[in-house]
Amino acid sequence: MQITFWGVRGSYPVPGAATVRYGGQTSCVEVRTAAGECVIVDAGTGMRQLGNKLAREANGQPSQYHVLLSHVHWDHIQGLPFFSPAYIPGTRISVYALLTAADELNQVIGGITRHEFFPMPLEAVPAAFDFHQVEPGVDFVVGGFHITPIALNHPFGSVGYRIDADGSSVAYVADTAPFDKVLHKQHFLAGPEPLSADDQVALTAMRDALVARLRGVDTVIYDTHFLPDEYERFPHYGHSTPDQALVICQEAGVRRLVLYHHAPGHSDEQMDQVAATYLAKGAAIGIEVLTSFEGMSLPIGAG
Amino acid sequence: MKIRFWGVRGSFAMSGRDFLRYGGNTCSVELLANDGHRLLVDLGTGATEFAKHLMGAEFGKGQGKLPILLTHTHLDHIQGLPFFTPFFIKGNEIRIMGADPISGLSLEATLQNQLAPHYSPLNGLENLAAGVTISSFVPGGTLNVPGFTVQTAAVPHGSMWTTAFRISADGKTVTFLSDVEYPSLDEPLPQALALAQDADLLIHDAMHSDLDYEMRRGWGHSPARAGVIVAERAHAKRLALFHHSPDATDDMIDEVVVRTSGETNVPVFAAAEGAYLDV
Ligand SMILES: [Zn+2]
Ligand SMILES: [Zn+2]
Ligand SMILES: [Zn+2]
Repeated sequence: MQITFWGVRGSYPVPGAATVRYGGQTSCVEVRTAAGECVIVDAGTGMRQLGNKLAREANGQPSQYHVLLSHVHWDHIQGLPFFSPAYIPGTRISVYALLTAADELNQVIGGITRHEFFPMPLEAVPAAFDFHQVEPGVDFVVGGFHITPIALNHPFGSVGYRIDADGSSVAYVADTAPFDKVLHKQHFLAGPEPLSADDQVALTAMRDALVARLRGVDTVIYDTHFLPDEYERFPHYGHSTPDQALVICQEAGVRRLVLYHHAPGHSDEQMDQVAATYLAKGAAIGIEVLTSFEGMSLPIGAG
Repeated sequence: MKIRFWGVRGSFAMSGRDFLRYGGNTCSVELLANDGHRLLVDLGTGATEFAKHLMGAEFGKGQGKLPILLTHTHLDHIQGLPFFTPFFIKGNEIRIMGADPISGLSLEATLQNQLAPHYSPLNGLENLAAGVTISSFVPGGTLNVPGFTVQTAAVPHGSMWTTAFRISADGKTVTFLSDVEYPSLDEPLPQALALAQDADLLIHDAMHSDLDYEMRRGWGHSPARAGVIVAERAHAKRLALFHHSPDATDDMIDEVVVRTSGETNVPVFAAAEGAYLDV
């Protein structure tokens, strides 16, 4: 397997001189098998550039694309209307997502292209879309990929994916808060709320399930939006730090961690520091820590 | 009056080396009157940079007041809203004014939908700590904005309408005509010409190259030539090309400016993120 990062930023795209090296586009990762099969994880603004590449490869011919969504916050879906293969007639796009709000999935995702937001509604796009609701605990198969959805701790819910193919595996763990101070539910948090005994149980169960699913995974991509001091100020925003990711990876026996979903305010210089700091911290406990940047490609597993 | 472009890109925010000189942020433009009154047009990603600038002053203390005009609610004009930090400080008073996007759907309901729980953790305008008021207007009249005189008109933009603005202060006038496509290039609509009449600065949609324009008639955007025609007929003193295509690199925009300048006596430049400019 091979993974390629097309957008590594969280929250919103950040153009400019400060983000030239790590990149300014939001969440989107391409996962490809040795045979060339592909799934796309998240449809943030990085998806535009991926789409341009795939459209060139398709050379006008329709194809089928599979898109796994962690959740539908804008930074994870905004690239979808700019995915150029969607404008090739005959193209089929299968979208997999958690149903986090009352609406039907197609309404939520179609909603981003409503008249007032985007010039062309989803129904008018030449590609045919189908929507699949994922449920943590219920595995599914997409071509040569075996996909395991994992519940995460994020406002209104989010789901990570363990993806197995070619005899190896990669996990995408974004967006998520750690599993101690705050339990995200289906309401707005102005700040951390006191945890009930049930909340504690739910957090522990979510954390245990995540660690169990990550066992044996070759590479883990993790939401490390915050530096520790930023996390202390915004523990209710639904994101983690590299330190929290390292603890989870260590418990799961994972040997390679990729830092991902960088805060929009982190400049290239800051990211260089983050990369150096956590490369050393990881090395001390036997974990290779890589800091994702736009365009980074990684082989997964031996082959 | 001064102007500062915080975002000049159309459709899609572009990061990377090819977009550094003109900037990759989507639409957001600040107007600053000599007496300190401010006005923002549009809330694209450029507004997040403007927000940082504001937070260093009275907005960081919850003492800021800001009127925001929206041309329309396509995402490249509102995608900075959930990240516009002055909204999160109690005491700030921010008024967003725009036309209802379609009949039966108010501006407020549209922005509320942008912050719906599945799309944004903010989960609704009511969770913004600042005092935020959203008011719809019907284009064609004037708006009451402290420190400025603002005239509005609806102009066609593909399947919808956008609002164009003529904004005056300190005896100077800026006309904002972005996200517009006239039924015919050679016949700019009278309401556009009226707003641009004798303007000191005309900011005009220049999204399409001439080739794209031929292929994308009806998509709701203009080539640079449309701005030239409006500027010449309305006797505007300067033309700023705006709403650059996400495909247009810095070098490509340079070329458009050189070519367009060669076709008219009106001074032409391409809007770029950066410093305050005198109008
Ligand atoms: Zn995110
Ligand atoms: Zn999110
Ligand atoms: Zn636009």
